[in-house]
Amino acid sequence: MEEREKTKNNTEMRILGFLCNWCSYGGADTAGVSRLKQPTDLRIIRIPCTGRMDPLFAFKALISGADGVLVSGCHPKDCHYSVGNLYARRRFEVLKDFLPFLGIESDRFHYTWVSASEGQRWQEVVTEFSRRIHELGRNPGFDMNTNLVNSEAR
Amino acid sequence: MWSEITKKLQETVQNIMPQVEAVIGWERGFNEIRIKPVVIKKEGDISKLVWNPFCVQNLSGYLVKSPAVIPREGRRVAICVKGCDSRSVTALIQEGFLKRDQIFIIGIPCSGTVDWRKVMKRLERSSVIHRAEIKDGRLMVEHAEGVEEIPLREILLRRCLRCVYPNPTVSDVVIGETVSPHIEKEDLYKDVEAFERKSLDERRKFWAETLSRCIRCYACRNACPLCICQDWCIAERRDPKWVTQKPTLKDILLFHGIHALHLAGRCTECGECERVCPMEIPVMFIKEKLNETTLRLFSYEAGIDSNLVPPLLTFNPHETGI
Repeated sequence: MEEREKTKNNTEMRILGFLCNWCSYGGADTAGVSRLKQPTDLRIIRIPCTGRMDPLFAFKALISGADGVLVSGCHPKDCHYSVGNLYARRRFEVLKDFLPFLGIESDRFHYTWVSASEGQRWQEVVTEFSRRIHELGRNPGFDMNTNLVNSEAR
Repeated sequence: MWSEITKKLQETVQNIMPQVEAVIGWERGFNEIRIKPVVIKKEGDISKLVWNPFCVQNLSGYLVKSPAVIPREGRRVAICVKGCDSRSVTALIQEGFLKRDQIFIIGIPCSGTVDWRKVMKRLERSSVIHRAEIKDGRLMVEHAEGVEEIPLREILLRRCLRCVYPNPTVSDVVIGETVSPHIEKEDLYKDVEAFERKSLDERRKFWAETLSRCIRCYACRNACPLCICQDWCIAERRDPKWVTQKPTLKDILLFHGIHALHLAGRCTECGECERVCPMEIPVMFIKEKLNETTLRLFSYEAGIDSNLVPPLLTFNPHETGI
């Protein structure tokens, strides 16, 4: 608990951002070019389309100890590949519902739509999501590197 | 009662034998409570076929996974299915792995199958079974140290205790009388709901403890009729490398995540994963949650209507709130 308190304000969190090449990556760029102030916790990974986003990317990140995963793409019906984000949003909804079943807060995963011109909106999204993750604190995750063969668990 | 159905089954198979390449069914294993799958290709073997509550295996995997029984041009493959198995067959047809006219489905209404492990636990030290008989909802076992009588309900598999489709949903011929389901449809996901009332920490602890038993034998994946990647399964590939060979909880969890998320919106809850697990991990429970989600979000149940597309393989542009 103490650890969590400490990380609330000072420490940087490990947040992964999966951004689609055509809209949100451009949107983040616009925000940067416009010199909009953004939190520094987010590490961005560029993907061709949110349709490329396997829910397992987020799943693996979260069980491996990432504190949050943010996915952002083109607005529905504006997808560069027409329908990629329409497939994607169904998968994200299922994942978001599934995570708490394993004991991971569903708030650690968030998906949204930001277009290339929406620098302002991107700033808001990142700020809000980072704030939420700081509030949640470190992802306690699972005791990951326990070697089960040698531990008492067996 | 079971011998009558077995006799009818054998007669049916006798009649259709000329039109089919092979018949996939069940035969007696090394004792009466252990049944094994059998593929019948010649008439002389028809007498091997049996049906009783010990016929636990879902045979539909044999239609698509190697060594698969492949129908030749103009000849079909016949398969015996219980209620739950028939949903797997429908799901395979839905996803284009099978054509409906390639298979002849022999449906058998099922009132529940027996978990042999539960029986053996009741018998304690004695392991040799001479005779087993099910009558009026009770199992009589004659074993090396005497006779044991067990109410059937206490030894059914967990999947059977929560079965709502005991009758085949698709079939060319049905053998035996229609049976009523064990539970109401509304109660199907009450275990999931009860589990979700626990705190996040408790849930995480439950899975960490339960899954730490996993030896990653991949039996759950191999037994699953819808896990069809086989040699291309990403859990075993080096490129892309998802799961390492280290025996850590992370790798176990990741494997189960892969298995469950690949089955999201496709799993028919046949419970084979859980039945074959040597460590008795409730593997199907993870899939139940995903099925509860897809039922709530997309009003979809897998393996019921062969004309529907599984929800995660399609989209709806008009969806709001998603």
